[in-house]
Amino acid sequence: MKLSTRMVVVLTSIGLLSGSFLATVGHLTKERIALNKQREIEEAIIQVVPGTVSSQRLYEERDLSVYGGKNEEGNLVGFAIHASGIGFQDKITLMLGTNTSLERTNRLAILDQKETPGLGAKITDRDSFLKYWENRDCSGTISLRKPAVSAAEKLLPSEINTITGATISSEAVLSIVNSSLEQVREIIKEGKLSSEAQDVN
Amino acid sequence: MSTKAAGQEFIKGLWDENPVFRQLLGLCPTLAVTGAVINGLAMGLATTFVLIFSSLVVSSIKKLIPSQVRIASYIVIIATFVTVADRFLAAFFPPISKSLGPYIPLIVVNCIILGRQEAYSSKNTVGRSLMDALGMSAGFVLALLILSAIREILGAGTFFGYQVMGAWFEPWIIMILPPGAFITLGILLALALQIERRTKSRK
Repeated sequence: MKLSTRMVVVLTSIGLLSGSFLATVGHLTKERIALNKQREIEEAIIQVVPGTVSSQRLYEERDLSVYGGKNEEGNLVGFAIHASGIGFQDKITLMLGTNTSLERTNRLAILDQKETPGLGAKITDRDSFLKYWENRDCSGTISLRKPAVSAAEKLLPSEINTITGATISSEAVLSIVNSSLEQVREIIKEGKLSSEAQDVN
Repeated sequence: MSTKAAGQEFIKGLWDENPVFRQLLGLCPTLAVTGAVINGLAMGLATTFVLIFSSLVVSSIKKLIPSQVRIASYIVIIATFVTVADRFLAAFFPPISKSLGPYIPLIVVNCIILGRQEAYSSKNTVGRSLMDALGMSAGFVLALLILSAIREILGAGTFFGYQVMGAWFEPWIIMILPPGAFITLGILLALALQIERRTKSRK
C-alpha cells in the first residue's frame, strides 16, 4: 500500500473505532449524569424551601430557572430561584428560596463557586454569610451592610452583612439575587410562569 | 521479559525517572489540583487510567501506525480514554468531577502521557509498556499525594477532609492558593535534587 493511503486508512480507522467506543460510553453514562444534576437541584430546593416534599420547574431560561416547592398536600409552599452570574473569579450558581408572594426569603444555598479559598469562598459558610439571608424582606431590593455589624438584630429587614475581606464576592451574590428576583417578578407579571403557580399568586 | 527486568521498568518511575520530581513533566495538573488530597488522588488515578490504556493500545498497534501520523494517532487514542475517564467521574463521582472541572479533559495534553507513548510504548513490547505505564503512574500519584498532603494540612488544617490540626492552628491560606503550589513544588524539587546528589556522591 502506498504510504499516503496507509496514513489515511490508519488515521480514519483509529478515528472511527474511537468514535464508536465513545458513543457507547456516552450512551451508557448519559442517563446517570442527567440524574445526578437533577438530584443536586432537588436537594437544593428542599434545603432552601423548608417543607418541600416535591418540586416542579415552572420557568426556565439561560442562567435562571424557577421551581415551585410543594408540601405533602400538594400546596405551593415557596419558590426556589436557581440563578447564576459572575463572581470574583468565575460563575457563581445559587438557589434562593422565597415565600409564595416573593416578599420574604427562606434560605440561600450556593451550589457552585470558585471564589478565593478562605476569603470569597466564605459565601458558602453558614455562620459568616448564609445565615443573614434567612427570612429577609425581599419585596424591594436587598442591600449590603458595610462594614458588617456584629449583632444581626441591628441589620434592617432587607440588609445582609458583608463578608469582611470579600466585598466583591458578597456583592456578586447580592447582585445575582436582586436581578433574578426582579426578573422573576417580571416573569410573573407577564404570566409566563406555568399555570399552577399563577393560581397561588 | 524476566521478573527482575519488569520490576526495574516499574521501579524507575517511582524515583529515578519520577515524572514530576525528576523529569518535571505534567506540572500543570500537579500545580493546579493539589489543593486537597482527594483532588490530587482523583487526578492521579484518572491519569493512571489514561496512561495505562493508552500505552497498551499504542504498544500493541505500533507497527501499523506510519511514523508521519503517529502523534495524531496517539492524541486520538489518549483523548478517547480521557473522555471515558471524564464521563465516568461525572456519572459516578459528581462532586470530584465538579471540583476538578476542566482539569480532567486537560489530561489529553498532559505531557507525561504523550511523552511515554513517544519515548517508550512506540518502541517496546506490550508487557514492558504496561510495566512502564504502571511505574510512571505510581510515581505521578506519589508526587501528587505528597504535594497535596502538604498543601491541605498547612492550608486548611485537614487531611482527606478530616481535621488533623488542633484549634490553635491558623490555616495558611496561601498554601491552597496557586502561590502555595509553586512554593511547595519548589521546595520538594530542591529536596529531590539534594537527595539525588547525596546518593550519587556516596557511590
